[in-house]
Amino acid sequence: MPKSTVRLAAVPGAAVAVALALTACGSSSSGGSANRASGGSSASNAAAKVSGGAAQVGVTLTSAGGCELDHASAPAGPVTFTITNKDATAITEIELQSDQRILGEKENLAPGLAPVKFTATLSGGKYQLYCPGADKENVPFTVTGKAAAAASGSTATVLAEGTKGYAKFVNQNAADMVTAIGKLKAAVDKGDVAAAKKAYAGARPFYEKIESDVGGFVLPGFKPGDNAGNLDYLIDMRQSNLDPKVGWHGFHAVEKDLWQGGKITPQTKKYAKELHTNVGKLAKLVKGVTYKPEDLANGAASLLEEVQTNKIKGEEEKYSHTDLSDFASNVEGAQQAFAFLKPGLQKIDPALTARVSKQFTNVTNGLTPYRDGASLGGFKPWTAQLRKTDAAKLSKKVQALQDPLSQIAQKVATAG
Amino acid sequence: MGALAVGASWGMDASRSHPADAADKDAIDLTTQYPFYDQAEPAGIRTPPQRYSIFMTFDLVDGSLRTDLQSLLARWTAASAQLMRAEPIGQVQPSSDAGVGQDTGEALGLDAASLTVTIGLGPSIFDDRFGLADKRPALLRRLPKLPSDNLTPETSDGDLSVQVCADDPQVCYHAIRNLARMARDTVQTRWTVMGFGRASAGKGQQTPRNLFGFKDGTRNISTGADFDKYVWLKDADWMTGGTYQVVRKIEMNIETWDADRVSDQEHIFGRGKTHGEPLSGSVEHDTPRFAAKGKDGEAIIAPTSHIALAAHENNGGIKILRRGYNYTDGINEFGQLDAGLLFVCYQNDPAHFVQLQRKLGAADLLNEYVKHVGSGLFAIPPSPKTGHYIGEQLFT
Repeated sequence: MPKSTVRLAAVPGAAVAVALALTACGSSSSGGSANRASGGSSASNAAAKVSGGAAQVGVTLTSAGGCELDHASAPAGPVTFTITNKDATAITEIELQSDQRILGEKENLAPGLAPVKFTATLSGGKYQLYCPGADKENVPFTVTGKAAAAASGSTATVLAEGTKGYAKFVNQNAADMVTAIGKLKAAVDKGDVAAAKKAYAGARPFYEKIESDVGGFVLPGFKPGDNAGNLDYLIDMRQSNLDPKVGWHGFHAVEKDLWQGGKITPQTKKYAKELHTNVGKLAKLVKGVTYKPEDLANGAASLLEEVQTNKIKGEEEKYSHTDLSDFASNVEGAQQAFAFLKPGLQKIDPALTARVSKQFTNVTNGLTPYRDGASLGGFKPWTAQLRKTDAAKLSKKVQALQDPLSQIAQKVATAG
Repeated sequence: MGALAVGASWGMDASRSHPADAADKDAIDLTTQYPFYDQAEPAGIRTPPQRYSIFMTFDLVDGSLRTDLQSLLARWTAASAQLMRAEPIGQVQPSSDAGVGQDTGEALGLDAASLTVTIGLGPSIFDDRFGLADKRPALLRRLPKLPSDNLTPETSDGDLSVQVCADDPQVCYHAIRNLARMARDTVQTRWTVMGFGRASAGKGQQTPRNLFGFKDGTRNISTGADFDKYVWLKDADWMTGGTYQVVRKIEMNIETWDADRVSDQEHIFGRGKTHGEPLSGSVEHDTPRFAAKGKDGEAIIAPTSHIALAAHENNGGIKILRRGYNYTDGINEFGQLDAGLLFVCYQNDPAHFVQLQRKLGAADLLNEYVKHVGSGLFAIPPSPKTGHYIGEQLFT
């Protein structure tokens, strides 16, 4: 169903307009707790002392939003960071970065747990300690001595490769969708209800996999707020959310005729023809889109939102009950986006990458018992009865994936 | 802050009504805060019952590791301390446009409202999943099946329990929501009850009423000596200073009760409805005389009345600390009001509750009007020291 975001289809390459400050340096936005002590570094100017072959730097995390170093500099060579989370609930990890590359990190920094250490061998230059969730997230750290060699193979390059791969996936999927809807149209034109139902179920997954990327396109000549020019509205609007001025179009209008009406009328044929035309337009528009890494992350997150708000409740496929097929397709689309981010994300945050991977596996495994080749869409019908017993179980699995997944955008956006 | 006047008379016989005296009026100061760390007792037990409560249990998700449980308890501990100080648990406004907030924000600008967070460990975390079997608190076993139990798994048990109480319902909700949220990939919610009115009194509070309209808990534990004797664990290794929490979700058949004549209701409870006096006495805090007989030769307080069955005099001196809340779940499938009592009690031996409930479940006249649908037993560890966390000793 349509998103509130609006994209102007006429401007290829600029479709996704989320402005991001790539270097979050010094943007200290306090969490609405006006009386909170301002965080930040109270590091002494003296360089860290070398002990046991490494310069020793202490890092303390506090609930006052602090991520504090006891020394702001160290001589070149091995540097050991000892991190104590005193009582900071919000700060669970820190990273040592240089030019957006991660040189060392610690995760799971729960308050009260024993201090943890990591050591990195550092050449002279400027570094940052990145403490997501702290009032001052980037704390500068200087290493004196021999200069560092220039970095190569940056994380940003790897991520950019991933976004190109993802764009190909979306384009291919959109083209396949046009073909699948062509079959639906042909079956409807022939007046064959059984074949049309099968074609409907066969076409839906292509849309559901890329739903988050195709929402918000406005046809040329229409204003952004006008649903008559909103392709997502024209293709995927459900009866419950109709705009009376524009009326019903698209997939679900066909769905209702096939399942509830049980017959194909001249109006059904009109719906199917128009749907075919509109997805053709959509496939052309999608080709012009380029993606930023955070678009993939946000898109994956919004596909999971789709699962939670529409599929779990059985609202998407009210008549055909093929919601679980949509569910699986949303998850697959999200998993694709994640897979294209993975090589870069692995460099930025291997632990988060592992968590998200594990949760994707959990969700996919959770769907396995519902697979049924004999049913339309390849899954058991998501009936009211089945929802009553199983919806909460499935929803919880998705929720456990949503949370770590929602952390990705920020990671890949700041990776420069 | 605002003081709520209670004790207005509802057109009753003037001789039986009297204005509430000052001590009976519960004044609420929303700026009140309770400390979390370094206390002799865990928060939310002896604390004078706040107006609202949410109880929720959680299960560790499949595949969780011992370290997941450890860092969950550590993070919940620090978050609880922050929440009780009326602080957000992290940024509401993330520092970059692509970020999600760490605190959900609905308590910004609200006072602490006496918030307490009480975290409990269920018997199931001491199974073979986390290698904690040898740390199991001595008396932490699932409650046995009790007479009249009508429990459903969906409203029973759980690996962990969280009780939040506050004088502002939104403060309560914010706390439980954020605790649930920060652990979403480690724990799943299992069941919850939202209590909207306290059904137990602390020191200096007037005895509140349950949804049957009766004063409940007149003879609740209140003295320090009784707390030491019946509530807190002594010589219990790392659990010393902690206690056991029993939670029961008890549905009330509201419509049926409302159709019963008040004299019968009083017979069932063993107390007068308006003033809560034992039927053998004249004012609320009169000690019930269970042996007293009426002119007809029958016991004035029926032996199967609620207070007779529950009284410590009739149970070898056993007492438990009751700290329950009234709740409603709206309307049930039959169109009836779905409401009841979130019964919560604390004791240093769960067998004390079991003994009382065996008797009540078997014979209580009230059973016709109530149904125990949910149940759980949890160990409440002692208050953690600053810089430490709840259950830390499990991992050493």
